Amino acid sequence: MISVQYVVALAALLFMVGAVGVLVRKNPLIMFMSAEMMWNAAALAFIAFARNYHDMSGQVMAFLIIGTAAAEVGIGLALIVAVYHRRHRLDIDEISRLKG
Amino acid sequence: MVGIFIIGILMLVGAVSVVVVRQPVHSALALIGVTIGLAMIYLILQAEFLAVAQVIVYAGAIMVLFLFVVTLLTAGKEEMEAEDTLSGQRWAGIITGLVVGLGLAVVIATHSPVKLSTALSGSFGGLHDLGHQLWGPYFAMLAGVALMLLTGVIGVLVLNRPDQVNYKSRLDLPSGVSLVDAEQEGKK
Repeated sequence: MISVQYVVALAALLFMVGAVGVLVRKNPLIMFMSAEMMWNAAALAFIAFARNYHDMSGQVMAFLIIGTAAAEVGIGLALIVAVYHRRHRLDIDEISRLKG
Repeated sequence: MVGIFIIGILMLVGAVSVVVVRQPVHSALALIGVTIGLAMIYLILQAEFLAVAQVIVYAGAIMVLFLFVVTLLTAGKEEMEAEDTLSGQRWAGIITGLVVGLGLAVVIATHSPVKLSTALSGSFGGLHDLGHQLWGPYFAMLAGVALMLLTGVIGVLVLNRPDQVNYKSRLDLPSGVSLVDAEQEGKK
């Protein structure tokens, strides 16, 4: 029997690494990859609990998370490319200057 | 059980290297490793279809898109990260993230959830069960995700529409001296 709490703890650690990446790095591409890692950690927790409680709903949620992440990546990368074409620098602080 | 620990350690190493490496390309490659490790853990947790979907969607589609954008934007550049505009922002971020994440992990690892004694049904995690759930009680959410993907496609098209380039100005090139004229100049 797999002890599910270790898997969920792994998901928490993965989420933590992703959150630190979003907070610390300034390259928008790496921040975005860290955010992807946070999505993945949430999906892992859902699947672990689905296995524990013998309920397919958790896997359905993980499937929806994968679909949502795909849509998010499309929009996010398009935003990064659009900002880069105007400013020619990969720095997240460039976007904060949009406020004028 | 040992397998999960080994895969978990490898995944955490990959995850940390996503955050600490300098080049975005290396970070994308490390994220592919994390994704493959996740797919293996999904297999151990009897989510076969999701393991396959994870590899196809993440390693196959999302990371390829990332690599395209990384090579498009950062090819041949060696840029240092910019200075912080807020002083101490970096350390505040690290400490906040570590406290929240480690606290969460410790709480989870010390509280074991209820274990069901019934045996797992043989078809658990297969495509059949998942499809029944998705097209039954969760159909509204499936339709929502489909709409979201469609909105994403339209959003990408709107965000990156081509600029209105003035093609006429490219035709106003100065008329060059023809080769015949140049030869005649030489003979004189």
